[in-house]
Amino acid sequence: MPDLILSGVSKSFGSTRAVDATDLTFAQGQLTALLGPSGCGKTTLLRMIAGLEDPTRGTIRLGDEDITGLPAHKRKFGMVFQSFALFPHYSVRENVAYSLIIGGMAKPEALDKAQTLLDTVQLSKFGDRRIGELSGGQRQRVAIARALAQEPQVFLLDEPMSALDAKLREEMQVELRLLQQRLGITTIVVTHDQREAMTMADTIVVMSNGRVEQVAPPKEIYHKPANAFVADFIGKANFFDGVYRKDGVEIGEQAVHVPANFAAGSPVRLAIRPESACLVTEPGQNCIDAQISFVRDLGPVREYHLRTDIGPLIVEYAGTDGMERVAGDKTLVHLPVEALRVYPRAVA
Amino acid sequence: MRIGGHIFMALSALVLAMPIVVVCAAALNGGRSMFFPPRDATLARFGEFFVSEPVWTNALTNSVIVAFGAATLAVLIAWPVAYLLWSTGSKLSKALAGLGSLPFAVPPIVIGVGLGFFWSFTGGLGHIWSGVISHAILLMALPLVTISIGLQSIDRAHLDAAATMGATERIAFRTVVLPQTMPYTISGFFFVLVLSFNEFIVIFFVSASAYSTVTLQIFNSLRNGYTPTMAVAAITFLTVSILVFAAVARWGDLPRLMGAEQSKK
Amino acid sequence: MTIADDIKMAPAAPKTPAKGVTPKAALYAVLSAVMAVFCIVPFILVIVISFGRKVDGAGWVWAFTFDNYQRFFVGILWPDEVTFLYLQQLGYSFYFAIIASVLAVLTALPFTLLLTRLKRRTQAIWLVFILASLSMSEVFIVMGWDILLSNNSGLPKLFQVTGLTQWLKDVGWFQILREMGLANPRNVKFKPSEFATILTMSYLVWPYAVILLYPALSRLDPSLSEAARTMGAGRWTITRTVTLPSIRLPLMGTTLLLFVFLLGSYVSISVFATPDKQTTAVAIYSNIRGSNLDAPFGSAQAVILLISASVCLYFGHLLNSKAEAR
Repeated sequence: MPDLILSGVSKSFGSTRAVDATDLTFAQGQLTALLGPSGCGKTTLLRMIAGLEDPTRGTIRLGDEDITGLPAHKRKFGMVFQSFALFPHYSVRENVAYSLIIGGMAKPEALDKAQTLLDTVQLSKFGDRRIGELSGGQRQRVAIARALAQEPQVFLLDEPMSALDAKLREEMQVELRLLQQRLGITTIVVTHDQREAMTMADTIVVMSNGRVEQVAPPKEIYHKPANAFVADFIGKANFFDGVYRKDGVEIGEQAVHVPANFAAGSPVRLAIRPESACLVTEPGQNCIDAQISFVRDLGPVREYHLRTDIGPLIVEYAGTDGMERVAGDKTLVHLPVEALRVYPRAVA
Repeated sequence: MRIGGHIFMALSALVLAMPIVVVCAAALNGGRSMFFPPRDATLARFGEFFVSEPVWTNALTNSVIVAFGAATLAVLIAWPVAYLLWSTGSKLSKALAGLGSLPFAVPPIVIGVGLGFFWSFTGGLGHIWSGVISHAILLMALPLVTISIGLQSIDRAHLDAAATMGATERIAFRTVVLPQTMPYTISGFFFVLVLSFNEFIVIFFVSASAYSTVTLQIFNSLRNGYTPTMAVAAITFLTVSILVFAAVARWGDLPRLMGAEQSKK
Repeated sequence: MTIADDIKMAPAAPKTPAKGVTPKAALYAVLSAVMAVFCIVPFILVIVISFGRKVDGAGWVWAFTFDNYQRFFVGILWPDEVTFLYLQQLGYSFYFAIIASVLAVLTALPFTLLLTRLKRRTQAIWLVFILASLSMSEVFIVMGWDILLSNNSGLPKLFQVTGLTQWLKDVGWFQILREMGLANPRNVKFKPSEFATILTMSYLVWPYAVILLYPALSRLDPSLSEAARTMGAGRWTITRTVTLPSIRLPLMGTTLLLFVFLLGSYVSISVFATPDKQTTAVAIYSNIRGSNLDAPFGSAQAVILLISASVCLYFGHLLNSKAEAR
């Protein structure tokens, strides 16, 4: 199975630009998650890949073959829709066999194959049911089986978990990932849920405002976010606006030591994750005076909300740090150099 | 207040049912004239209406032909108009839908007169096929509305899903659009059927006394006084109406067809 | 039905359409032709013939004369002699239609409000009942009321047998009924009368009123009246300040539609109205199909009826779009 390659693909609806010119390669057999807030263009991008929307510019290739102008019913990329879009007037088995029967396969054979697929998604006994008689989780399995029946070269899922409740969602993410790995099929999942993306994806594509912000494996996305948007969108982060000086960032009166590749005097934004900062008692490098304004215990983690000279800051401890600090206490907060990230900042 | 409401609804139902009940009961009269309550109750009139009186059996046959023909034709014209309106939303399709609803919106006597002239010039006056077409024109607004409601209730994601599974527009139409709108199409068919059965003014002008439907025959007999056989016709029609609408309610979502919000399950 | 059946029904793959004529364009052309021929031509014919001239004993001929309209408004002998007979008929058309439609809407409104508060299943049963009575032909309904109101059976008989007539005579109300034309010396008499005409016409459109009001009323947001209730409003206050204002427009729209429908009603008036109170619709009938054989004049009357109806429908449309714009 060849790679799926987008070059310069963009989409405009009238005068509004839904997707900016995008270059992306979806490696064969990999699961890629398109992640971003709603309205960021991820679903439009998926629909262009499926052939349900025509790109305004750019080409889509499957290996060497240009499929840009190929209509959806000729691409036959299996797709799972947000609402699952199962046909209520057919039985479960007929839904799964749909692509096979309209593709010309003899009916008994098609229904046999549909049964095999239902076995795969653990719905062996549900073939004769109507769609209305299934639970949300069962419907999703049927939708997956139906999309896979035609043995598509690319498997597309649009927010496949959004109709499920929280607990079922986690189970299905793992199950879907295992199924995808077993079949080794090139898969693209659209989601706005970062946990879902991190659970399933080999590669995450973070998008915002129709633009691709970063393409990287989950770990890298989290630990080395390419810009302030990604840092903010994936997980939590503290931000401080300042100006770059030699080997550090100056925020108001306070200097924070962090070497980075910026010209002196350029406006920058400093970021640190709550779990990377820590409270200390001894002064040292990058230790800043702070006062605790609020404490909350969330079970697995304890959160301190601090007031400091460089602005509000949140520190997170896993478990307990053995110190019982309460709101109003004065303390020092340490920002380790290796955990700090510096991004350019646009000046209004 | 609650009890008052129930009483009001019951009273409304009583008044609504009263003349219908009276007509139906009159069918049981043994003699030639109408009495209420009926005298010498008998079912002989049913035999006259359905079997032995050619005047009535012919009228019934004509009514059935006109009603079924008009319902079929109205659905066949309304379908493409509703489909174009739904799939393209173009100005032309809107104009077509507007024109199609026009005959139903004006006082029936005006369209009756107009169609009467139309058929007298085209040579259709007094033929039963012109009656079929006239009723289809008059009543096609009904399937136009029900089919449009049906098309709007189709989830567009279903069409996308069919496309990603290899369905061309034509196959998607057969496997998604048509089956999902079938209940609405049938409802539209039945609405035309029942209203055509009972329609009087338009068929009066286009039949030009060359043939009679049941409603025409009853009207013609009005001057000579009532006969209980006419009441049998009323019972027949009422039964057909109730059966049809009950079927629509059983297999379709009648409240939604009548314009209530999507059902909350 | 199964997929395989649906597919079998699907016609063979479309041949490549001939250049210039796509199937869709052909469909548009055919439908436009059908609509033009059947939905426009009849109206045009009525309008054109209304300018024609009647020929004694030989029907009518094409012409372009305003005689028919003159006859309608001021009589054929104008200016020597003026008669408003036909305008008076139009007046009665309006008179009966307005009273009957307002009456129907006013009684259908509380009924429909109550109906929308029932369970959906129960609503469906009521709707079947209402649709069945709606589809009952005008001739059956007239027949039913005719029997109910006739002197030797039905209500007058009931009045006499139960002693109600005697009681009315005793308290003196009988005389009032006589003055209203609803009684003869011996007993109450309901037909022919305005009362019977309006009752039947109102009855005729009552199910329509329910069906037309139903969508608007079933979409009323219950939280609005609940909010009003939390602010201490009583049931009547809620109806007056919340419910009625929010359905004012559909209410007026419905009344208009029923009014237009009743403008053309024929059977009830020809059976129940006294001869001096016949309407335009009856006149159209007797000119075109009846004894007068004056198609041009009948057409002119139809055109005037059509214009009256169109003006009302136009205002109804304005109201509707106003309601939607809100």
